[in-house]
Amino acid sequence: MKFWLVRIGSVLAAVGFVFLLQSVAGQNSAENPLYRLTVLAGLYVTLAVSLNLINGITGQFSIGHAAFYMVGAYAAASFSNAFYAQQPLGPIPWILVMCIVGGAFAALAGLVVGLPSLRLRGDYLAIVTLGFGEILRIVVQNVPELGGSYGMNVKPFGAPPTVLWLVWLLAILSIAVCRNLLKTAHGLPFLAVREDEVASAAMGVRTAATKVTAFVIGSMFAGMAGALLAHSETFISPDTFKMDVSFIILTMVVLGGTGSITGSVLAAVALFAIPEWLRTLQDPVTKIPLQIGGPSLIGWIVAIGLAVAAFRWLQTHFHRPLPQRVGAYLGVAGAAALLATVLGLLLGNVPAIAALKYDASALRMVIFSSTLIVLMLLRPQGLLGHHEFSWQWLAKVLRLPVKEAAA
Amino acid sequence: MTGPVLSLDKATIRFGGLVAVNNVSFDLQRGDLFGLIGPNGAGKTTCFNLITGVYKPTSGSIKFKGQEIGGLPPAKICTLGVCRTFQNIRLFPALSVLENVVVGAFLRKSTSLFSAFAYLPPAIAETGRLREEAMALLEVVNLAEVASSRSADLSYGKQRRLEIARAMATRPELILLDEPAAGMNPQEKEELQTTVRRIRDEFDKTVLLIEHDMRFVMGLCERIVVLDHGEEIAQGPPEAIRNDPKVIEAYLGEAV
Ligand SMILES: Nc1ncnc2c1ncn2[C@@H]1O[C@H](COP(=O)(O)OP(=O)(O)OP(=O)(O)O)[C@@H](O)[C@H]1O
Ligand SMILES: [Mg+2]
Repeated sequence: MKFWLVRIGSVLAAVGFVFLLQSVAGQNSAENPLYRLTVLAGLYVTLAVSLNLINGITGQFSIGHAAFYMVGAYAAASFSNAFYAQQPLGPIPWILVMCIVGGAFAALAGLVVGLPSLRLRGDYLAIVTLGFGEILRIVVQNVPELGGSYGMNVKPFGAPPTVLWLVWLLAILSIAVCRNLLKTAHGLPFLAVREDEVASAAMGVRTAATKVTAFVIGSMFAGMAGALLAHSETFISPDTFKMDVSFIILTMVVLGGTGSITGSVLAAVALFAIPEWLRTLQDPVTKIPLQIGGPSLIGWIVAIGLAVAAFRWLQTHFHRPLPQRVGAYLGVAGAAALLATVLGLLLGNVPAIAALKYDASALRMVIFSSTLIVLMLLRPQGLLGHHEFSWQWLAKVLRLPVKEAAA
Repeated sequence: MTGPVLSLDKATIRFGGLVAVNNVSFDLQRGDLFGLIGPNGAGKTTCFNLITGVYKPTSGSIKFKGQEIGGLPPAKICTLGVCRTFQNIRLFPALSVLENVVVGAFLRKSTSLFSAFAYLPPAIAETGRLREEAMALLEVVNLAEVASSRSADLSYGKQRRLEIARAMATRPELILLDEPAAGMNPQEKEELQTTVRRIRDEFDKTVLLIEHDMRFVMGLCERIVVLDHGEEIAQGPPEAIRNDPKVIEAYLGEAV
């Protein structure tokens, strides 16, 4: 009884959360980019969480996740274009059916890629998965029926207003499935395969079946995300699924802490939002894109470099109680800001440097990748390490800061 | 059926030019506490690898309760009732002590993966049951207090005991222990002897163990096989082995 109450409660909470998102994001229209961004963020959450199942939880170093995303998108788009007009379903039930179609095709692709994982490990598997993704993309580029390299419209209907709901419910579903798996004993064989394949086989774990299952489920979710992408963008092209999309998804998983579901979610939202946010930076008064001058850019680069070095020293050498450590970190950050300002002022006197000006939005990939480098230097195990976010976990981290830093 | 639990008949494996196990034959009867000894590189671990399916024998047969198991996949052999520990400890480092044991017990799962994905009551109940079983085994090897520690954080001796508990969790009929006492202090070894005897007597297992500590083996095992350069040079009860001139020359030296 209590079990079902909790169950119904969590479903209601999920629905409430999506409702909240919907009200924040507003309506789907050309003047409201936030809606589209919220949709894309939800798709990235699904992609990161599903890759985490393959990569983080089962330890199979697959890095071509965009391929499954693409298979789902193209399968759903082709089906819609071919059959939507001749069938009685309305847009929403039809999209749900398309989700299943996209998921099924991607799962099949996952099976095909999963099979080499039975023989390959680590780097070799990574090469195969990446190659698979690229081959598939190039094949699509050369099939005129799929729009070739130009891409294809997903014809019959515009994005229905509820696509945001579907996207985020899918994201929540993927999170729930992974979390449920890890909450029960059924998750252990997956983790065991990651930890030591020989030992798991010796304990009766069917390692081949386990790895293929992870591939199939993970790619199925990516394919469902692809189906929703096709129907919300109403246009897809091979460029949408290039290698860099695979790398961003992989980065989300690694940055979140491999194996940590909540880490993947946080990293997916953050990594998707940061470049988008940088793109929109503009001067609050004049509304022209924000510019960064050469002096302050150089000033900040030097200051951040030194600050990272100082942080790393603090991490390994400064084992004091929490308040003192927070103080030290804040002190370093303050000193870095001061240094950046002073350097900026000084360099402003050098005419060659003072003349340089850059658009913040043009620098966004630079800023994005530097952020990644800094994070990996300061927290190589990822934001959450192998942990899941929970309030107990947070309390434990805060109470035992000294030991944590020494590790 | 009353035949031997395990029966090796001229089991042989070749790695290139090296014959790591050469025509080795021995039988284990139900309830045996059997020792496998020999100098470094004699082929003892390779024997375990043959029995548990890590390698396929080049020739010869390996039968478990009359069924040929040579070359079957390791997971299958484990399901049939043969489980092992590893000489170079192979736990699942990031998992907790308890979870390590549950991996072994998971062999007996009856609920579907779907039931886990949907977090349905059967999967939850089964998880609870397997954890209880695992906990009971941790009591046997005295690791109950550290059940929630990361297994990588345990001391060497405790990791070896955890390996035993994990193997026991698969409920094997035959358990293979590869140097279970290596790296243990004398008191730990003493306790381990008691544990191994309990495994045989209370849990009704057949035990085959590799060990270099002669006091440990001679005090524990009732029959012993000696390997040297992949070949079987002697077989018999401890007293006979201790006085066998070939064994003394190849392995024991004069001192024992
Ligand atoms: N996969 C392999 N490929 C090639 N040679 C191997 C392989 N496995 C084992 N050997 C060789 O087989 C021989 C027997 O090794 P094994 O590990 O069985 O010895 P052991 O009796 O367990 O010794 P120790 O007491 O040191 O554990 C060694 O010479 C080893 O180098
Ligand atoms: Mg050995």
